Amino acid sequence: MTIVTKPLSLTINDKAVGPIDVPEAMMMQDFLYEYLDLTGSRMGCGQGICHACTVVLEKPDGTLEEMRTCITGAHWFAGRKIRTVEGHAQRDANGAITALSPVQQAFIEHFSFQCGYCTPGFVTGATVLLDQLKRNPVKREALEQVISEALDRHICRCTGYVRYFEAVRDLALKTPGLVKA
Amino acid sequence: MKMGLSRRNFLKAGAAGVAIKVSLLPSPTQAELIQTPPRPGADWLAAGGKPKYRLDAIAKVTGGKTFSRDYRARDLEGWPKEQAHAFTLKATRVDRVFDSVDLSLLGDDLKPDRLVLHEDLVADGITLPSPWPGFYGDVFFVPKGQTARLLGQPVAMLIYHDFARYDAAKRKLRFNDKAVRYGPEGPSTTPGPYGAARYVRIDGGSPDAEDRYSSLKETTIRAGFKGEEPQWPAAGDGDAMARGMAAAAEIEREIAAAGDDALVLRRSFATQSADASAMEADNGNVWYDRASGLLHALIATQSPYEVAEATAHMVSKSKLPLNSVDLKIGYTVGYGTKDHAIFPYYCVLAGLYGDGRPVRLANDRFEQFQTALKRHAFQMEKVMVIDRKTGRFRAMTGRYRTDGGGRENFSVSVGTVGATAAQSIYYLPKSDFSAVILSSRAVDAGSMRGYGTLQTMAATEMMVDEAAEALGLDPMEFRRRNALKSGMKNSQGAIPSGAMRHGEILDRAQKHPLWANRQKRKAEFEAANPGKKYGVGYGHVHKDYGTGAESALCAIEFDAAGRLKLSHVAHEIGTGATTSQAVMAAGILGRQPDETEFGRVRWPQMPLETTDEPYTLSQEEEDKRKANPRWTPSFTSPMSASNSVYYLGHATREAAKALVELAIWPAARSLWSRGIGGGQMAPEAVRREDLRVVGGRVTAAAMQPLAFAEIAAEAHRLGLVTGVTVHSFNRWQWAEAEFDLPDTGQWRFAIDALAVKYGEGAPASRKELMTLEGWHFVERASVFYPPAQRNNAGVTYYAPMATLAEIAVDTGSGEISLLSHHSILECGNQIVPELVSGQIQGGIAMGIGHALKEYLPLHEDGPGDGTWNWNRYELPVSKDVAVWSQTSEVLPPLSDTDPPKGMAEVVMIAVVPALANAVAHAIGKRFYSLPITSEKIREALA
Repeated sequence: MTIVTKPLSLTINDKAVGPIDVPEAMMMQDFLYEYLDLTGSRMGCGQGICHACTVVLEKPDGTLEEMRTCITGAHWFAGRKIRTVEGHAQRDANGAITALSPVQQAFIEHFSFQCGYCTPGFVTGATVLLDQLKRNPVKREALEQVISEALDRHICRCTGYVRYFEAVRDLALKTPGLVKA
Repeated sequence: MKMGLSRRNFLKAGAAGVAIKVSLLPSPTQAELIQTPPRPGADWLAAGGKPKYRLDAIAKVTGGKTFSRDYRARDLEGWPKEQAHAFTLKATRVDRVFDSVDLSLLGDDLKPDRLVLHEDLVADGITLPSPWPGFYGDVFFVPKGQTARLLGQPVAMLIYHDFARYDAAKRKLRFNDKAVRYGPEGPSTTPGPYGAARYVRIDGGSPDAEDRYSSLKETTIRAGFKGEEPQWPAAGDGDAMARGMAAAAEIEREIAAAGDDALVLRRSFATQSADASAMEADNGNVWYDRASGLLHALIATQSPYEVAEATAHMVSKSKLPLNSVDLKIGYTVGYGTKDHAIFPYYCVLAGLYGDGRPVRLANDRFEQFQTALKRHAFQMEKVMVIDRKTGRFRAMTGRYRTDGGGRENFSVSVGTVGATAAQSIYYLPKSDFSAVILSSRAVDAGSMRGYGTLQTMAATEMMVDEAAEALGLDPMEFRRRNALKSGMKNSQGAIPSGAMRHGEILDRAQKHPLWANRQKRKAEFEAANPGKKYGVGYGHVHKDYGTGAESALCAIEFDAAGRLKLSHVAHEIGTGATTSQAVMAAGILGRQPDETEFGRVRWPQMPLETTDEPYTLSQEEEDKRKANPRWTPSFTSPMSASNSVYYLGHATREAAKALVELAIWPAARSLWSRGIGGGQMAPEAVRREDLRVVGGRVTAAAMQPLAFAEIAAEAHRLGLVTGVTVHSFNRWQWAEAEFDLPDTGQWRFAIDALAVKYGEGAPASRKELMTLEGWHFVERASVFYPPAQRNNAGVTYYAPMATLAEIAVDTGSGEISLLSHHSILECGNQIVPELVSGQIQGGIAMGIGHALKEYLPLHEDGPGDGTWNWNRYELPVSKDVAVWSQTSEVLPPLSDTDPPKGMAEVVMIAVVPALANAVAHAIGKRFYSLPITSEKIREALA
């Protein structure tokens, strides 16, 4: 058999990528790792269960969606715009980090992670959740439940989830407009 | 605790003349940490020495390359940029002989660029490295015509020079049972039992009296086998083992003769095989240049020294040329399962057959289940004898049989550690605990967080609850009567380190609303929630930390401007070890390190020699060897969850304290003595014990506070010691040594080797001593090593933890909901409280998984068949762990001199019996087999 490839172009972290010839059957995570050297979105299960591999899909209407790159083919992303974990912090022209995103800052201040392998997925999931809260604020008494429902699908083997969830809650509470009185 | 590791023979035999280098990967993102906004490195530590975030935080949160898995050949300086990839085909049956591999499914395009079989290794003279025969099994690949030793054993390796073909081929062959062809049925190649050990103790009539028999005083009893049955020595009055068996027989007779005044409780327990499910699956990348004989490797491991040494041994014994092994490591995580695993050597094979290309071998999750080290399944027979009048233990016995799978690995160690932990927190006048470690065709089991103690202590705590109920005693009161008090001996006859604070923990637990109100709350909850039963359970354990042969290296030095550098052998496995070392140094020296280097294994200033037989060397032999001032029992330890803060931290603390004695104090005295008549210091009686570090400045008895930079400049001007490297060793007690330093006299530290640097103003005679890359290795004048007999102590360091678990059981579905939990830990002085509470939360989550969810069949339907992933193996998710309703507290230290205790393993254990006991409280049924699934609940309630 011959590996069938076709050109792939998309936007990653605000930069145009491609066209690059990519096998039709290749999963997005492998394209990110082996073709683009973006290894931050991590392979955990390869089955779409653990969510360590997720990236933010930036939709044309401005909304965000969390996508699993281990079970989504690279070519599904053709013409689309995504943000990987490497694209959340602000960087200078040399690529050096100048400021973390609010979610990243909250995670490091809360000592949210230990080994950190699942952290990129939590950064992605929490970023998408906060964007949703910005569009659809929730009542204070519902906040913990909303966080639990949004992030429950993410597996972490080290931390017991507490410091991730507390970081997201505290960030939601201190960010104006996310939580209704 | 690990025992019996002896590498001397194979290292001496194989790797002579091969240079070995190990280093932590230089990560661009890691380097950014020091300068990168929003928080430049200088303010990483807030005032008071509290870290604002983990040392590795920014790299990890921004997706920087940190794990070994993140790196490819293109990232590694000096490596070819083209990356090759490999995977293995594995045997999924052990009853028929391996015939061949059938790759016809791949077609011509996807055929591997190189296929490696057992016969290739034979031709090249490549054999498995092994700390001792059988540790990693006997062969890498199943030979044609033989059965596999264990399920999931590789039969062949396929190497591809490009990723696209590798990826396509691997997906085609996954789950395909035609790719490996089998012949007729063949004889089993699974090895025989791995070992048996027994710990017997009879006290001398009171806890204080000299024991009549104990393993510390006499010996650990060992056995041979007939089939799978251990053949213990005959009882008698001859040697120590015979006397031990006589003591065991005496205990047995007492149990048999126990009258109505005693409760004799006999129970059988079973715990399951489990997968560590470390998120980073095993991986490695190896480039072998045959022409130069250089082997470069990047491998995820918790034991880099072992990997480098064993690789050198493995290749140098073959027909392939080898001059040097250069091993790089990244951050990793394994919960023990990346310590002495066989996987790195398959990575080496991949490199050896890469035709000069770097080859990457990286497990996917199915492969990780199929091949990674597992938690040992235990079968347990336990007997408790309790005096009904006093409610105190008379005796406890336990027979523990564990399945180590098809390769021995650390199975004997795990089994024996489980046996020595079976007493849990209780004082036992008489005890007899034995471990029988069996083999099977199961995927091999090895080191994993909890290390046998999770299995045996959890069972003891479940049984203690039942015993209290049978005695009509409050479970807390029963525990209080029997809990170890300070100075009481453990089941090996050793006195644990320091104060036993179980009473304080019990006091707090008993008063906690979850416990105090449990009956009232049960009635209210069940009235309000028909179909649901409410229960609260308690578990109280203590876990040893350390291996009985813990060694480490640390260097701290400063320049004349006061820039401080910390170098340490420790590397990061997720626990925050690197953060803690930096914080400890800052706490003693009053200044955070400006530069840190972790995972350092090149220590030219410490020309030590080791036999690396810390557990088996006789006292006589050790006495001879220690006369050599460069000899040490062990060079360095693998990284584990609970050895960093205490054992690795000891080296940091000793190095920092030595620097205080040799540099800070004399430099400060010099500055305070300046001026006429002895300066500001003359009117006061300023003593060394008055020295304090306050707000980052050094003062003593109202002397002018001095900045570290002032001290550093003066130390350099005077030519004092300005750098210290120490090597530490612990055999359930610290080694200590005396050192004669030029012009400063004799110093005693809790280390066994020392190197120093002298300041810029040192006289030439002193500088001439700095011959080892700027360091002076100071040969010790004398040394004390803890006696070899102390190996039989099993353990002397414990960290205790108790957990209260509040649950609801749905009587229809059998589902258990964890409503809340509260834990109480004692761990000495906390270095970074955020890391401690993170370990508590994470350990509890892992314990919840063990108690209620995680399960692997051992054999044909188990992970060796290659079909297991997290869809079938249920890990705890946030809704399982009571994220928003869990609490914990840590006992305050007795003083600011309490050493920090290793606590990253104990935190996962107490919740297991707490949940089982909560289920008993909820539905009145006790379970003796884990996990307690909803199916088991439904069956029990049917």
